[in-house]
Amino acid sequence: MTVLAAPGDTWGIPGPVFLRLYLLAAALLVVGGLIQRARLLRGPSTGTGPLGPQQVAYLSGGAPLAVLTSLGGLRSSGAIGVAPGGRLATGGPLPVGTTPLDQAIHVAAGRSLRTRELRADQWVRQALDELRAGLEQRGLALTAEQRAALRVAPLLLTALLALGTLRLFAGLSNDRPVGWLFLAQFPLLFATILLYRRPWRTRAASRALRELRREHTYLAPRSAPAYATYGAAGAAMGVALFGTATLWAMDPGFAEQAEIQRQALTSGGASGSCAGGGGDSGGGGGSCGGGGGCGGGGCGG
Amino acid sequence: MSGPAGVGLGWRPEIAGFVAGLPGLRFVEVIAESVPAAGPLPDGLAALRERGVTVVPHGVRLSLGGAEPVDPARVAHLAAVADLTGAPLVSEHIAFVRAGGLDAGHLLPLPRSRDAVAAVCANVARAQADLPVPIALEPIAALFDWPDDELDEAAFLTEILDRTGALLLLDVANVYANARNRGADPLDLLDRLPLERIAYAHVAGGAEHGGFYHDTHTDPVPRAVLDLVGELCARHRPPALLLERDGHYPPADALRAELDALAAASGFPVVT
Amino acid sequence: MSGDLAARQAALVAALVAGAPAPPGFAPGPLAAARTALLRKRAGEVARHWPLLAAGLGPRWPEVFARWADGRPTAGSLRDGWDLARELRDAGTLPPLGADELAVREAGHRYDGRSAPRPRRPPGWGRAGGAVAVQLAGRVRLLRPARR
Repeated sequence: MTVLAAPGDTWGIPGPVFLRLYLLAAALLVVGGLIQRARLLRGPSTGTGPLGPQQVAYLSGGAPLAVLTSLGGLRSSGAIGVAPGGRLATGGPLPVGTTPLDQAIHVAAGRSLRTRELRADQWVRQALDELRAGLEQRGLALTAEQRAALRVAPLLLTALLALGTLRLFAGLSNDRPVGWLFLAQFPLLFATILLYRRPWRTRAASRALRELRREHTYLAPRSAPAYATYGAAGAAMGVALFGTATLWAMDPGFAEQAEIQRQALTSGGASGSCAGGGGDSGGGGGSCGGGGGCGGGGCGG
Repeated sequence: MSGPAGVGLGWRPEIAGFVAGLPGLRFVEVIAESVPAAGPLPDGLAALRERGVTVVPHGVRLSLGGAEPVDPARVAHLAAVADLTGAPLVSEHIAFVRAGGLDAGHLLPLPRSRDAVAAVCANVARAQADLPVPIALEPIAALFDWPDDELDEAAFLTEILDRTGALLLLDVANVYANARNRGADPLDLLDRLPLERIAYAHVAGGAEHGGFYHDTHTDPVPRAVLDLVGELCARHRPPALLLERDGHYPPADALRAELDALAAASGFPVVT
Repeated sequence: MSGDLAARQAALVAALVAGAPAPPGFAPGPLAAARTALLRKRAGEVARHWPLLAAGLGPRWPEVFARWADGRPTAGSLRDGWDLARELRDAGTLPPLGADELAVREAGHRYDGRSAPRPRRPPGWGRAGGAVAVQLAGRVRLLRPARR
């Protein structure tokens, strides 16, 4: 039985027909978007391969964190320092085995740049671009084209949403029932917003990062790691996985003078969790990661 | 679970990653008060246990040498940690930590009197009643002696060990520190102690300040202490030797060199 | 007798940490060395709980701490550092890094100076030397670092 356009139908299309077509189009776009997303975000099937600290940093926090990671490693080995006034300075020669980013930052420090000016430096930018290109090649970071492709589905859905909204208002001004259409907008809006999220890294990379954080809990600032023991590589990985808190824990004087941004300072950083233990009456550091408590520091001396 | 063997290192969260990376390590010691009684074990320690590394809980705040009876809650905590770690034994000190309501924050030496022997033995007996495994007692380094000691150190320690049946945790650095600060010969003490009762030994670094040698645990191990380890092993090699470092941790290479030096001095296999 | 031992031990501890006179018979030199060593050890432990405060004072940390802590028995490293930081704040000699750290701690915990600090549950704020920190739902944020 054909449904003839009844007089007064909005735009000449009957309500139920429009709704059916609308929902069909929405379903196609959402499913299509999800499939495309899964394909683009999957990443290499053969595993991620070895990841250096700066690569971890780039995947985790982008270019800013990669620069800070390099700073952490260079500071740990004494290759850079900071002059009063906040300008970086070189403190010694570059150690062996440094990356192009390390070298670029070392040169920039020699020119007395500030920390926040580093990313604008030409060589640093070049090194960061190389870093990103390497990660994109390995299928860990998303290329610009891939990120643009992820936009297609949500954009189309937005257009559809706009169409639906127009129909809603048109229907309202015509005194037509618009209940179902109205309700359908909400899940559609929700799906569109979710599809708009564009990560910087693939799911394989996310998995690798989670694994690395689990392996390296000893570098977390709350474990009060002995950065001197772990060396420059340990310091760099600490910054890459745990952020600026590592720099503040490792060398607060440097972090302050170099104007390194703080993350939310929780109740005391490394010893935050000790607040309970310190309450032991007269008990110095009782349950608090003892660290030699009374047995150290010269028993009886 | 086998007893401690070979060269070991004190487990500390600050160097957990370094300890995990020692291929030949078979034994560590952990400060008992830093492990919660109900668990869980710190990550690094749990991983070592899975590898089959022996973990010995080392108490520092029981104050077994105090005139007051030892707090049952502290003994229970030590016992709980022994269970959690599957330890073959636990250790504590022949010292006191608090008195008269004040906490010294540090291990203090006992007067070497019969009273003190009785007090220590009573507390050790109380502890042994509630501990699932044997206890080893560590004599401490003291910068000062009490004015009217009745016994000398060897007699004092031997009597306590005989009466309690406890094992001995001999801290070679403490022997060195005490001898140096008293102007005595450390070999005298070694010759008079029951070396066959040693469960394991400690080695640590120290430094000279203000005319005294301080067993700081935050400095490198002096050559003289390593020589003393050699002397000990020549007389009666202990089953295991533990390097204690509590702070100011050096680069990994330096720590590895110290562990290797300890292995060389004692004839144990290298753990690095 | 055990009672005698208890009294002797109490007298020694008081002499070492509470500024009481040395019990009779002890050589003064070694006791003084022990007192100094105890303070040095305490300084190290408090620095682990208050790293920014110690870093802010730099090489003067051991001396500043020892001067404050001499004769004052420990209440635990967390409270020792807290009390010292508050005293420095009141005297106007708290370094900026230490002020930041104190503000964060004050925002996150309630500490009356007499018993163990307790975490604050309702939103709170802490101030020290120009630094301002706020605590909301358990997370503390340093709103404004101390004057430098």
